[in-house]
Amino acid sequence: MSSEALVMKNVCKDFKVLNRHEGLKGSIKDLFSRDYKIVSAVKDVSLTVNQGEIIGYLGPNGAGKSTTIKMMTGVLEPTSGEILVNGKVPYKNRTENCENIGVVFGQRSQLWWSLPLIESFKLLRDLYMVPQKDYEEMLELYRSLVDIEPILHKPVRQMSLGQRTLSDILAAFLHNPPVVFLDEPTIGLDVSMKSKIRELILGLNKEKNTTVILTTHDMGDVDALCRRIVIIDKGAKIYDNDIDHLKNYFGSYRTLKLRLEDDTWEETLIDEKTTDVMDVIMEKQKTMKIKDIKILEITTEEVIRKIYEGSER
Amino acid sequence: MNPKRMLALTRGGIMESLHYRMSIFVTLFANLIYLVLVYYLWKAIYDSSGTDMVNGMTFTDTMIYLILATALFNFLEMFVVWDMSRSIQSGNITLDLLKPMSFRKYRFWSYTGNHVVQFVLSFIPTFVVVMIVTHGAIRMGVNLVWFMLSTLLALLINYNIEMLIAPICFYTESTWGVNIMKETIVLLLSGATIPLAFFPEKIRMVVQYLPFRAVYDIPLSMLLGKNGADSLRGLLHLFGLQVAWLIVLTIAGNLVWNKAVKKIIVNGG
Ligand SMILES: Nc1ncnc2c1ncn2[C@@H]1O[C@H](COP(=O)(O)OP(=O)(O)OP(=O)(O)O)[C@@H](O)[C@H]1O
Ligand SMILES: [Mg+2]
Repeated sequence: MSSEALVMKNVCKDFKVLNRHEGLKGSIKDLFSRDYKIVSAVKDVSLTVNQGEIIGYLGPNGAGKSTTIKMMTGVLEPTSGEILVNGKVPYKNRTENCENIGVVFGQRSQLWWSLPLIESFKLLRDLYMVPQKDYEEMLELYRSLVDIEPILHKPVRQMSLGQRTLSDILAAFLHNPPVVFLDEPTIGLDVSMKSKIRELILGLNKEKNTTVILTTHDMGDVDALCRRIVIIDKGAKIYDNDIDHLKNYFGSYRTLKLRLEDDTWEETLIDEKTTDVMDVIMEKQKTMKIKDIKILEITTEEVIRKIYEGSER
Repeated sequence: MNPKRMLALTRGGIMESLHYRMSIFVTLFANLIYLVLVYYLWKAIYDSSGTDMVNGMTFTDTMIYLILATALFNFLEMFVVWDMSRSIQSGNITLDLLKPMSFRKYRFWSYTGNHVVQFVLSFIPTFVVVMIVTHGAIRMGVNLVWFMLSTLLALLINYNIEMLIAPICFYTESTWGVNIMKETIVLLLSGATIPLAFFPEKIRMVVQYLPFRAVYDIPLSMLLGKNGADSLRGLLHLFGLQVAWLIVLTIAGNLVWNKAVKKIIVNGG
């Protein structure tokens, strides 16, 4: 049960970009410029993902997450290094690889804009040559996981962002691919749609043993879905382990919440190894009145923030 | 290439086109205005020439040709350059490249549905009206078969011309100019706006062998039995020209497109 769905070995990706100059004079100069610079978007990333895993692929803005996903799906060729998805090199067998993956780029839709969702499903069924029986089974599974009836006959054009994202995720899983890539699928969604989508992804992963590579800036997604996280920053991998391990690592951290006189909560992150929580409270009490105190375990959000901040230094 | 995929895409395209049914009526209305203009323009040309025949075509001949050319234009019109540049700018090209079939085929079969709709709702009605108004000036025989065949080839040739031009957008990042240039060249040199018979002798000699003619002039010649399409030798010549250009353009289009894809895959969409 632990066959490798995805393997990356020392993958690097450089982009060649024109050094643009400022102003009108600069723009004219750029017309004939040969002044290129190299941007290293991904640096020496190695990664192995087993079938059925859900991986949180995290990192601050511009870390290289989308670039990595594009290389995994075969629309970008790595500058160096090796990638295998389902045992094949994605960019060399792009169309073939596409039959065995599902992709969602948040805020982009692969659905047919003016057609009702069900027609997009039928089109995808035929494009991916899904047997009718499997197709119907998949729709049944969808029905058991989310309420799809209200959107099934709605033209995609008329859907809300949340409904469209939900539809796009359903579309990506329709041909039952062994690997699905989700690049920021919950961007711009409300709390209830987010939780709906998380349940759906989790349900599909359980039912079909689908490998899911997920990028997100929402730690709620990570808490709900990922047992393992990989963090990259400035293109380089800085963390790859279980999420529990991560929390242990920061286990001595506590969030101290103090309710002040004007009923606002003040938050401070404290490392119990170095600072005593009581000392902090006492210190605060000298200058202000405290109405209530809460001490919480560190959240994933804060752990990740600490890692991002740590790597900045 | 699996027929199930082609059929599914065509079916989807038909539904999408019918969804924008108002645009079909707008097109027909625009055609009407254009044709009234054309009518008076050519009437003036014929009146001032003082003879019934100009360059071997009567006024009725010319009008039939131009009306059918317009209808054919609606049928053959494609927005490949336009769509492609939009999807490059928005980055949606990435999604098109993630389809389980080759991009060129995927795009082509995404357009066929629209062609079917245009043929049924625009070309056939125009053809019928022309037949009624001219009391059957168009021969109804085997020429219809040649016309259909030739139109299918024209469709493929037109697509390949578009696919050859579209990748230019990767480099220029401006489409409007490229698109207008393509449109003008194709419409002028294909005989869609002025019958080739009216071109100056020297220019016609060249234009006759260019691929643009294969899009409008040849199918219409087949339909109307002009330009040698009424003899077997003439037919073979015209079909030969179409097939030759189709092969050349397909090969060239493949090369250019593969280079363009390579560029996306190396340097991002
Ligand atoms: N096509 C391209 N050409 C040049 N540079 C690029 C290209 N695509 C990405 N980059 C650069 O590569 C780096 C990584 O970008 P990427 O989109 O992978 O980040 P990300 O981790 O997905 O960020 P975000 O969380 O904001 O989506 C950035 O510095 C970006 O500017
Ligand atoms: Mg991104």
